[in-house]
Amino acid sequence: MPELPIHAQPLPSHGRTRAFAVPLVLFVLALALWQGPWQFHSPVPEATVVPAWAIDPTPVRRPKLRPQIQLAGFSYTCSDCHRFFSSPPETIRSLTQHRNVELKHGINTRCFNCHHLTNRDALVDDWGREIPYDQPQLVCAKCHGPVYRDWLHGSHGRTNGYWDLTRGPQERRKCIECHDPHVPPFPPMPPAPPPSTLRMGEQGDGHHDDAVNPLRLRPSVTHEPAENPTVPDGGTEAEEYVP
Amino acid sequence: MRRYFAFLWDCARLSFVGDWRYHAWMTVLTALALTGLYAWCQQLVHGLVTTGMTDQVSWGLYIANFTYLVGLAAAAAMLVIPVYIYRNLHLHDVVIFGELLAVAVIIMCLLFVTVDLGRPDRALHLFRRFNFPISMLTWDVIALNGYLLLNLHICGYLLYCAYRGRTPTKVFYVPFVFVAIVWAVSIHTVTAFLYVGLGGRPFWNSAIIAPRFLASAFAAGPAFIILTLQVVRHYTSHRVSDDALLTLRRIVQVAMLINMFLLGCEVFTEFYTDSAHVASARYLYFGLAGRTALVPWIWTAVAFNLLATLLLVVPSSRGLRVLNSACVLAIVGIWIEKGMGLIVPAFVPTPLGEIVEYYPTGREVLVCLGIWAFGLLLYTIFVRISVPVLAGELTYQRSCGGLPVPSERETRPQPTGGDVS
Amino acid sequence: MNAGERSDAGSSPTGANTSGPRLTRRGFLRKGAAVAAGASAAAAALSPLKDLAPEDVPSLAQFLQKHYKEMTPPEKEAVLNRITREVKDRYGVAATVTDPLPLTGVEFVYALNISRCIGCRKCVHACVAENNQSRAPEMQYIRVLQMEKGSIDLERSAHHYDPPLVPDEASYYLPVQCHQCAKPPCVKVCPVEATWQEPDGITVIDYDWCIGCRYCEAACPYWARRFNFTAPQVPADKLNPDLGYLSNRPRPKGVMEKCTYCLHRTRRGRMPACVEVCPTGSRKFGNVLDPDSEVAYILRHKRVFILKQDVGTLPRFFYYFDERGSRYHEPIAPVLPEEGA
Repeated sequence: MPELPIHAQPLPSHGRTRAFAVPLVLFVLALALWQGPWQFHSPVPEATVVPAWAIDPTPVRRPKLRPQIQLAGFSYTCSDCHRFFSSPPETIRSLTQHRNVELKHGINTRCFNCHHLTNRDALVDDWGREIPYDQPQLVCAKCHGPVYRDWLHGSHGRTNGYWDLTRGPQERRKCIECHDPHVPPFPPMPPAPPPSTLRMGEQGDGHHDDAVNPLRLRPSVTHEPAENPTVPDGGTEAEEYVP
Repeated sequence: MRRYFAFLWDCARLSFVGDWRYHAWMTVLTALALTGLYAWCQQLVHGLVTTGMTDQVSWGLYIANFTYLVGLAAAAAMLVIPVYIYRNLHLHDVVIFGELLAVAVIIMCLLFVTVDLGRPDRALHLFRRFNFPISMLTWDVIALNGYLLLNLHICGYLLYCAYRGRTPTKVFYVPFVFVAIVWAVSIHTVTAFLYVGLGGRPFWNSAIIAPRFLASAFAAGPAFIILTLQVVRHYTSHRVSDDALLTLRRIVQVAMLINMFLLGCEVFTEFYTDSAHVASARYLYFGLAGRTALVPWIWTAVAFNLLATLLLVVPSSRGLRVLNSACVLAIVGIWIEKGMGLIVPAFVPTPLGEIVEYYPTGREVLVCLGIWAFGLLLYTIFVRISVPVLAGELTYQRSCGGLPVPSERETRPQPTGGDVS
Repeated sequence: MNAGERSDAGSSPTGANTSGPRLTRRGFLRKGAAVAAGASAAAAALSPLKDLAPEDVPSLAQFLQKHYKEMTPPEKEAVLNRITREVKDRYGVAATVTDPLPLTGVEFVYALNISRCIGCRKCVHACVAENNQSRAPEMQYIRVLQMEKGSIDLERSAHHYDPPLVPDEASYYLPVQCHQCAKPPCVKVCPVEATWQEPDGITVIDYDWCIGCRYCEAACPYWARRFNFTAPQVPADKLNPDLGYLSNRPRPKGVMEKCTYCLHRTRRGRMPACVEVCPTGSRKFGNVLDPDSEVAYILRHKRVFILKQDVGTLPRFFYYFDERGSRYHEPIAPVLPEEGA
């Protein structure tokens, strides 16, 4: 009887009865996997609905840059009325007309700081000379020198179009295309939707408690992801910050 | 050449032979590996969205396991050094098991990196534009594959010589052994440098990470081998002396003490300085802003590591039972500390301060289990082959020369495995 | 090696192998069953691959496609045509795919006025629309951080703020996107050179070369890189058809992407989408090598800071602020006795 090398030796007797156990297990596994267990359910959330305004590059204001007013379907220039009705130079805010104009421009509370006293179709500079309506930045520059300087160099204000002027035009937005001259702070706006990335879990609104902040601007904020404790509405809450 | 193929053929056939326990063990591993493959195929279809990873935590369980396993592979050197440098003959018989472990584990490492790729179909781009030496990942590619080849050569050569009944020629393997020793240190250092070199991740950007990696590797690796050798000893005819195990115990003991010391240094620096950089460590140990996913894990690891260190230091760990518990504790503790405990916190919070937690998905766990099973499968086969080959029970003469052989008793390795996996 | 062991290995084979043919048949059956079972189990394990989308299986042309820097002009032309075709097939959109090259004498720099930013996130969504980022899962290159006044700690920032109106009185806002660093750590770590810095300073990615290891994502100190964890979804009617090879062409799954300062626009002299949409004019962009550019003025005259300057990556993205502070610096609702009366 020739000796067999180790790998050719027969199985011990108990091995034979189990000889088909291995294929059986693998077959069962094959069957199980063919069924496609653990089908993948995507954790990808629905796409956030992004409102159209969120990607609209239109400036927040569209001033006419003309001394013009629409009234009862007709268009008038300012002087159409004001050549007949003069207004007192020291008018502050007891207006009979222009009641819709809300003037909240800091200490600048006089109409004729900016508007020309005699020619209502123009604005006015520091020497009483006229500034045309399409050059409002010259009026603003009377008080806001550093901002005007920054605007001239492009560090303040919007620049649209081409950065390379050899390839296309550039648009510089004038002051009043963003700022209402009568209420100059940039208007608050609703934010576009917050991020909602894959598997980010509950995130809350992320307000931290104020324990380590010396300013204590947001007193008594807890970890409650409840509503925003301070809802700014155009600056009326600014009292806290008045020096 | 014909003989070499005969060798490979015999090895392949041998790996299918064993008693029912061997077959059961191998079947379970095969089934697990195939299940992992299934989960990975799902990942290929849907993308890495099947894992718990996100842009915020962009590396997870895969890279954690990769890091741990590189250490395990490097630790094979710890067996080689005493034998070839200090002529410690206790370990001589077990060196080859360490190196075979290195081979199996490096293959697991490569698999873990592969499953982590978003585009494994483009892996060949590595051959077409290789950002060497700037990218540490290219260093790691070279280090890991080089180490794999070195160990394959050493083990393959020794086994083939035994198969042919020849005495190994020293010049064909001893130089490689010495290269492999240096290389083993380098693979883990390079892997540490993967993380250490990133200035944007302060949790990793610490010079102590590389020494910590080595210390923890030289604790977890030999601990793993202590357990493996006992399995080999129990199920095969291969003789492993208690002295060899106790020599390994000394290695684990010292490495564990150094590891705990280095960890202490790290923890002190982080928390005593208490700068903004501590956020990740704080998240890991105490949780941040109410997010505490890793806290139970890391304290388990700390407890295990401390207990393991304690057990290893007391003399009673010369007894195998205590030693084994210490080894299991060290292996698990270091796996947590160096895997999830090192990779994930570096991403929490993100560089911009957002906190998104990472929870591995079931599919991700299946892929990991599959790779572990495949690695154990490989290692079982390696041991299955090498024991009879080294014992001279399977030689070219007997297999193909038709010479009569003395009859053999069953010499089949059947690791039962529960304790090693 | 263990000669001693062998001598005591005594018991002889069981002797059942005398009946050769039966054993062979049984052995054959057993082996056949094992092979069949193994093969079917392996096939079953691979079965999910049958759901692989056709566009996920690389065609031969894609497989052999060269790295961007190695392509000859005709090869690049062929690739651009292929992408045009793919976009047509997939979205039904006739797109123009181009590859505008960096301009000589141009180095792009970005400046952002944190005194003026109100945190409205319009830049975020304009960027998504311009660059064809995935809508589900959501991918955005810009993250706007709501910062506490009195602090510049990013870890105390809020990313998910959503009040009815912004700006919040107690906060300022810090939008972060790719800083186009001059020493980009993300480029350094890429193993296959799929990402690099162009001569005009923009760090780009070849989406056809990236292997998706996400090492760059880990390396970026500004969290500016994004990974396609699954196939990106862009509704066909929202697809921007002005496509650049290195910027906003549709990306496959499994690759990285990032802000490119809209190079398909900016290399033709236009402003990036985020600059165009910013309602407050907080975002400034231009050629820093041109001394008359807005950004050159800002760097020369404004107080400028760099986020995480300590990481030393030399960003081309600067934050600045105005000397007179933000809009809250002065009272905007003066108390007037006449009104109160």
